[in-house]
Amino acid sequence: MLRLIAQRLQSWLNLPGETGAVLPALAVMLGAALLAFVFIAFFAGPVTWWERRVAGRVMSRIGPNRVGPQGVLQWLADGLKSFLKEDIVPAAADRPLFLFAPYLFFGGYMATFVVLPFGAHLVATDLSVGLLYLIAISGLVVVGILMAGWGSNNKWALFGGIRSAAQLVSYEIPSAFSLLAVVLATGTLSMQGIVRAQGGWPWEWLLFRNPLLFGMFFVSFAASLAENNRTPFDLPEGESELVAGYHVEYSGMRFLWFMFAEWGNLWVIASLATVGFLGGWQIPGVRPEVIDQSTGWAFAGWQALSFLVFAGKASMLVLFAIQIRWTLPRLRVDQMMIVCWKYLVPLALLGSAGVLVLVALVPEGSPVDWFLRAVSLGLGLWLIIAYVRKARAAYLADREPYRRLEGKDPWYPPYRLP
Amino acid sequence: MVSALPPAVTPGNPGGVRGWVGHIVRTASSILEGLAVTLSWAFRRPYTIQYPDKVEVPVPETLPEAYRGILEVDLRLCTGCLQCEKTCPIQCISISIEKGEDAVRRLTRFDIDISRCMYCGLCSESCAFDALAHSNQFEAARQDISELTLHFVREPVPVARHKAGEAPPRRPRGEILREVLPGLGPVMSPPARDRRAGQGDPSSGEGKP
Amino acid sequence: MTGTVPTLAFWGLALLTIAGAAGVALSGHMVRSAFSLFAALFGMAGIYALLQADLMAVVQLLVYVGGISVLVLFAVMLTSGIGRVGTDNPSHRPIGGLLVLLAVLIPALGLAFRMPLGIESPADPTVAPIGDALLGRFVLPFEVVSVLLLAALVGAVNLARGWRRDPEERPSEEGR
Ligand code: SF4
Ligand code: SF4
Repeated sequence: MLRLIAQRLQSWLNLPGETGAVLPALAVMLGAALLAFVFIAFFAGPVTWWERRVAGRVMSRIGPNRVGPQGVLQWLADGLKSFLKEDIVPAAADRPLFLFAPYLFFGGYMATFVVLPFGAHLVATDLSVGLLYLIAISGLVVVGILMAGWGSNNKWALFGGIRSAAQLVSYEIPSAFSLLAVVLATGTLSMQGIVRAQGGWPWEWLLFRNPLLFGMFFVSFAASLAENNRTPFDLPEGESELVAGYHVEYSGMRFLWFMFAEWGNLWVIASLATVGFLGGWQIPGVRPEVIDQSTGWAFAGWQALSFLVFAGKASMLVLFAIQIRWTLPRLRVDQMMIVCWKYLVPLALLGSAGVLVLVALVPEGSPVDWFLRAVSLGLGLWLIIAYVRKARAAYLADREPYRRLEGKDPWYPPYRLP
Repeated sequence: MVSALPPAVTPGNPGGVRGWVGHIVRTASSILEGLAVTLSWAFRRPYTIQYPDKVEVPVPETLPEAYRGILEVDLRLCTGCLQCEKTCPIQCISISIEKGEDAVRRLTRFDIDISRCMYCGLCSESCAFDALAHSNQFEAARQDISELTLHFVREPVPVARHKAGEAPPRRPRGEILREVLPGLGPVMSPPARDRRAGQGDPSSGEGKP
Repeated sequence: MTGTVPTLAFWGLALLTIAGAAGVALSGHMVRSAFSLFAALFGMAGIYALLQADLMAVVQLLVYVGGISVLVLFAVMLTSGIGRVGTDNPSHRPIGGLLVLLAVLIPALGLAFRMPLGIESPADPTVAPIGDALLGRFVLPFEVVSVLLLAALVGAVNLARGWRRDPEERPSEEGR
């Protein structure tokens, strides 16, 4: 027995002869992590500026426009400011938990980048369970929030943490069920597989595959906004009642980690919806096989183009999330639970069951399939037209009073920079 | 058992499955409505006036007569009665008067610490000769707080001798202040200042040191 | 599990799991124990991933890390008196604990050293076979378990609703 143990231990500890491979492997890992980090920094930073600009225009203000041309460098100034602040640990805090929480939070967020595809072949690993992994890894984030809330030894922080846990555990269900509809329609859990099951043109997207999936998109988007504590579901932060929620005691760099993850999360929300419903990186009119078979510069060009397509779609969704944030008021706690359990969960269940039936009964390419696609495309177009017309009506309703008051026309499109 | 929940029924909602669907439809349409309103605001002129470098008229000129800006004292009018010094609740005015060999009383110091002044206006109320008054200026940010103690007396001046109500007219508002507080005006980044100087805006309120 | 990098990763994850487990047992404070449990479960998920059991790893993450450990934390934090940092864990029973440990460890180690462990080559994705098995060969147990879980759910909801003395006071069902 003892000899056996010794043998086992020896075989475990005796590192196989390829010790030379450790350093390159570590370097690759570090490099990938660094790349993801740089991407987050260069996404999350400017998005904080962009969000404030959008908020400004929505509120008839201008927004930050001082640092750099039109204020685009505002995020650098903010980051530098936070960086130079003192890192305060409250005396009564649970010190190890308090210190570790921001990293867990940020780490959980960064772990999602393992499966997020950025382009045709731009993905860290295409896990066969990618989508499930993406849903699962958010557990790390919520534990980070709980840890921060508890470690701060502050009742507002703790309330924020507990709310966040309750919210995340609840909204994981509609989120998972609405993504289940995607999985049912594509028959795979891998992110790239889901993208490849769609096409470049809008009528090849899952969003417009049938009216049920069209509805599922909104359920899924709402649930992922809630999962990532975005307004209108930002109860864990709730400035008005909880000051800042779970990060109220943080300052300096640790606070910055929370902010990073919070804005970086926008990207995750947007790319999840892009992959699931908007055809991911698929370039209109180009079969993915063409990209697979290209070599050299053509290959690189396709990668860049597919990244641009993906980033374009994701940015539109980011803009949508930002606009929602500055449009809708925050829900109350009970309303938040009601929205989840009484509306989103049944909708997601019905929707995914309906999608299952449709996928089973309607073969792809059949006339009924095309009819369903046409109906959902029409639905989408109708929504967009209604949206623009309502916006135009709201503008026109205020034009005359404005003219009388200010003596000039209120017309000032967003591309005109003040 | 008291329910913590608010009253349940929305007016006009039939309840049941129809009510459930009704709630969803109403939520969706009101979200759409709200998004449309915020979208329309993206196409309207912001109300913001970009202070300080893109204002059409310098802000001090838009302020009302009674605006209590930084204090200024017209030494040609000051009789050295010390009323203002006594009135100030926080003693931020200090005046010294010396009698020379020629028996003329001269003001040798008239300092106002505007970093402490709370702009209550008591001193200017108590000045019977209209020598001490609020200007319309407020843009006096400085790196060093000691620069905010204004020394109105450069060299000793004889105190004025006139009765209340017979004083000569004051100099225009803000003019004296510009002499004792160099660089008065909004704080601007250098490019903005150049841009504005290039526009040849005569009333920029910037200092003439 | 061959190659240096997986070996190193294995040792890291094993250390994390064991340290987490030790933390659960030895930590003086309930909340710290709960967080240690999280670490232990997370380490397990990593080990599943190393063993190429991709679905197992992700389900471990989803159910145990994201679900159970959050619920445990939730429950622990709602325990009364938990806020006193001095609340410690007085239940050290070294002898009984040792007996339980030995009772579990000896059979487990015995199994571990007798069975051929480890996998030779990277396995195929396990999602599809598991799905096929669940809806094919094992469909009956699968459905029975579903019904059981559903019953448990309904029961839990019923318990949570409580018995109200006055039916008038039941908050009405629809929309607010
Ligand atoms: S305004 Fe008030 S505080 Fe300022 S100097 Fe006059 S009396 Fe003093
Ligand atoms: S400023 Fe007015 S109150 Fe003050 S000393 Fe001169 S005259 Fe008197």
